[in-house]
Amino acid sequence: MTTIGKALAWTRAHLAWVVCAFALLVAATALRTPGPVRGFDVVGFGKLPVLEGGRVKPADSIARNALLMIRGQQTFAYDPDGDGPERPRTIGADEWLLDVLFRPPVADRQPAFVINDPDVLGLMGMQQSSNRYFSFQQIGPYIEEIQKQAMAAEAKDAKQRTRFESAVLNLFQRVLLYHRLRNTVQYFDGQGLVMEVGLRGTPAGEARRAEMAQYAYFRPLLPAQGDAGWRTIAEALRGTGPVDPVLAHWARLSLGWTLQDPKNFNGALSALQVDASSLRPDLARHAEDEWLFNLAQPFYLGMVVYVLALLVLFASWLWRPEILRPVAFGFLLAGFVVHTAGLTSRIFLQGRPPVTNLYSSAVFVGWVGVLVAVILERLYRKGFGTLVAGAAGFATLLIAHHLSLDGDTMEMMRAVLDSNFWLATHVVAITVGYGGTYVAGLIAIVWIAMRLFGTADADSMKTLSRMAYGVVCFSVLFSFLGTVLGGIWADQSWGRFWGWDPKENGALLIVLWNAVILHARWGGFARDRGIMAMAVFGNVITSLSWFGVNMLGIGLHSYGFMDEAVWALLLFSLTQVAVIVAAYVRPRFWAARPTGDEPGSGRRASSPA
Amino acid sequence: MKRFSDLVWDVITSLKLTIACLLTLMVLVVACTIAQVYLGTWGAVEIFMYRWLVWLHLPGTDWSIPVLPGGALVFAVLLANLIAAQVRRLEWSWKKSGIWIAHLGLVLLITGGFVTSRAQRETQLAIEEGQTVNFVESPREMELALIDRTDPAYDDVYSIPALSLAGRDAVAIPGTPVVLRVRGYFRNCDLSPRQEGEGPSLATQGVGVTTTVVPQPPVSRDEEINRSAAFVEPLVAGQSMGTWLVSNGLGKDQAFSAGGRTYSILMRNLREYLPYAVTLKRFRHDVYQGTDIPLNFSSLVRIDNPSRGESRDVLIYMNQPLRYEGKTFYQASFGKNDTLSVLQVVQNPGWLMPYIACVLVVLGLLVQFGISFRRAMLAQVARDSAAEEAAKAAAPRKVWR
Repeated sequence: MTTIGKALAWTRAHLAWVVCAFALLVAATALRTPGPVRGFDVVGFGKLPVLEGGRVKPADSIARNALLMIRGQQTFAYDPDGDGPERPRTIGADEWLLDVLFRPPVADRQPAFVINDPDVLGLMGMQQSSNRYFSFQQIGPYIEEIQKQAMAAEAKDAKQRTRFESAVLNLFQRVLLYHRLRNTVQYFDGQGLVMEVGLRGTPAGEARRAEMAQYAYFRPLLPAQGDAGWRTIAEALRGTGPVDPVLAHWARLSLGWTLQDPKNFNGALSALQVDASSLRPDLARHAEDEWLFNLAQPFYLGMVVYVLALLVLFASWLWRPEILRPVAFGFLLAGFVVHTAGLTSRIFLQGRPPVTNLYSSAVFVGWVGVLVAVILERLYRKGFGTLVAGAAGFATLLIAHHLSLDGDTMEMMRAVLDSNFWLATHVVAITVGYGGTYVAGLIAIVWIAMRLFGTADADSMKTLSRMAYGVVCFSVLFSFLGTVLGGIWADQSWGRFWGWDPKENGALLIVLWNAVILHARWGGFARDRGIMAMAVFGNVITSLSWFGVNMLGIGLHSYGFMDEAVWALLLFSLTQVAVIVAAYVRPRFWAARPTGDEPGSGRRASSPA
Repeated sequence: MKRFSDLVWDVITSLKLTIACLLTLMVLVVACTIAQVYLGTWGAVEIFMYRWLVWLHLPGTDWSIPVLPGGALVFAVLLANLIAAQVRRLEWSWKKSGIWIAHLGLVLLITGGFVTSRAQRETQLAIEEGQTVNFVESPREMELALIDRTDPAYDDVYSIPALSLAGRDAVAIPGTPVVLRVRGYFRNCDLSPRQEGEGPSLATQGVGVTTTVVPQPPVSRDEEINRSAAFVEPLVAGQSMGTWLVSNGLGKDQAFSAGGRTYSILMRNLREYLPYAVTLKRFRHDVYQGTDIPLNFSSLVRIDNPSRGESRDVLIYMNQPLRYEGKTFYQASFGKNDTLSVLQVVQNPGWLMPYIACVLVVLGLLVQFGISFRRAMLAQVARDSAAEEAAKAAAPRKVWR
């Protein structure tokens, strides 16, 4: 054999790994540092450490989370002069934040607010149209009315609010966030920080400073010597003594951006960077690490690769499965590596176990699901594992993306939750249980689909059924462990092992349901089909336990109240019920009744005459 | 024909009964969770879990009918089923050892649940910085207390639970010559100043004369407290001291004198006196900088126990309770501008049982699934090698992997 022939043969024999390595190489390009924007070192600004929400983070995180909350995206295209000579430009989160901080009049014209609710639009005399994005300038005239409506809505219990009330309150909170950002570094009329420094001590300056002190969103000034804590600009402006050198750098930064003078801006920025890395090198490094994490967007990337894996797998059902199936598995592995890298980065950045809030639970449930399914694929090698893993990874990362719209996903833990030991044991075990139950449910869906379409041999059906049983065993172990560990944590912090709290009840439901499945199988009350239908219902129970109890808005675990997701959850549950029904209809019921086909046998139905 | 006892034995050991119990329990858990939105945790748990039957009140009548077995009944049946089935069906063998261990753990867990639901007492200790307290209070139950204040050096406290006033005409206060005639008792009520035009109050003495009592249905939600009230007429040697209104909603001290002794009469949260005293030295409530997210709550307390000759400082903070003389003190709440600390005090003789149960169940599941997993893997290996043999026997073809 020639060398080329040998290489080709080797590639084919290790196709999955070759594809995985190739996909990872392509994914690595996501880590390329973007260049300066119009000569401004926007990247350097994004890396500056600041304090917000009680934790140190890069300015880039502030920018991305704020834009995500306000607009639902991390970048947007903006054409400053309508259809004029300039082409629309993509504005990144950091550049947008710079405009909000230093050039509010410019930022006010950018379409940063997404408004979907027709009634809220109606409140502002606007019709619903294809354009869902509005600038602060467009919203400005209606602020008082929005505030009035929002205050009325806020007085109500979250569960009692109408869709309009929730939407108008949400808009008001976003406007408030925007206004707070505008007042963080300088007074929001855009005169610049130099002006605030100049007005120090005067009555006018004090009035402006009071406003800034009230609204400041983050603290940009590193703890000075003697550890006085992080300061806001307003605090640094106090008094009439010599100007704090760090404040002076921020003033130059402001001037540089306002006048669009890259040289001044970059000079001031490097001075601030030197300050940060000499005063607190640890914090500066942390901010830079988190900046890199933001840049890589591993969960978004992972989601894309999972979709690729799924698409290739679908293609493999139509064409050359012996090549495409390993390719799909290769993509899946690549997605899993990216997913794992993202998860590990979060653990290091936060210094916490993987699950700390609803967002990270979605990321972790997906990770567990993919892991279990990848192992199943290696054990049984039928492509089902890839299908289940791709679906689980994609769906959970999509959910995580939607949950991230609420803001910072690495927020600090409240005192009672501030226990790495219990987060690492109880929360992880419970979440692994969720992941396992979903994998069993997904396998069951595959089984039911194959039975319905009559596309599988008895051997594949048996394999799937064995896989589902094994995964249910795995889930019952982890759900039980997680639930009881939760009880022990509760005993440690509230003095009662079990309080029938909604989230506890949800976890208990998962344990009970998995136990019902196992006992039904052991007792022979349900055969393959019954077990599969029950496993699908496990999806419903897990979703209700995971998200549903949060929607009740009561109990000790009611972190992350969500109202919009109610419909999504309901819809999902209905689809699962439909799948369960599908398990009990005749295979290929749409075709004329074939002869000799026994319902539920899963054998390929003979084609109609 | 089968004997009746055999039939019962069949039912009680049947796996179908197990599944029926588990499913009923799921229904109860769902119902209990949803009911919490309206009734609060305690109300819902009381109705669905602690009772033997779940009763449905027929609207428009005084009748209630049982609609579901309650949590207590289901757990009891499950327990019986578990033990009976284990005795009847399962053999002693290593193959089944995991199931034995896991089921033993479950028996212990459910038993522990019963012990807790019947024997656990939850009280609170609210204490201000610098203050010394030697009692804990029930957050829900009230008591009627008669305090003999004659001696300025110390008080003698005589009390009866407020609930025992319900439906009684007269109650003797043990240890005192006082007999209380009960002229009215309200588990929950609203108190308001008496308006002109209203008839005279039942009370003839104290603030009750100018107060109107409007009965209210009792509440059970976690954040709500019943305002209980009673009209009582103390009789000392048959002589009336007038009728008084007492309530935990009234702040005023009300006292009467009889037989050379002075008594304060009041309704307050049910107290349990401790044989030791707790002093709050410092309460801390830290937040993350620039936020109001709590970082830490902690109470530094001093325990003075003369009976043990003990006097020491203890720091109670989140996830770090104090276990002392059968009671466990947890940091629960705070108030009064961070100078008041509220400790949850729990007494539960069965607190250790779930810990042991958890270890047993998890161990059992691990053993059992380990055994099954090993068997499944061996079978898979056998299948794989059989398939390989078959593939070799057929045309030699490359397998893409």
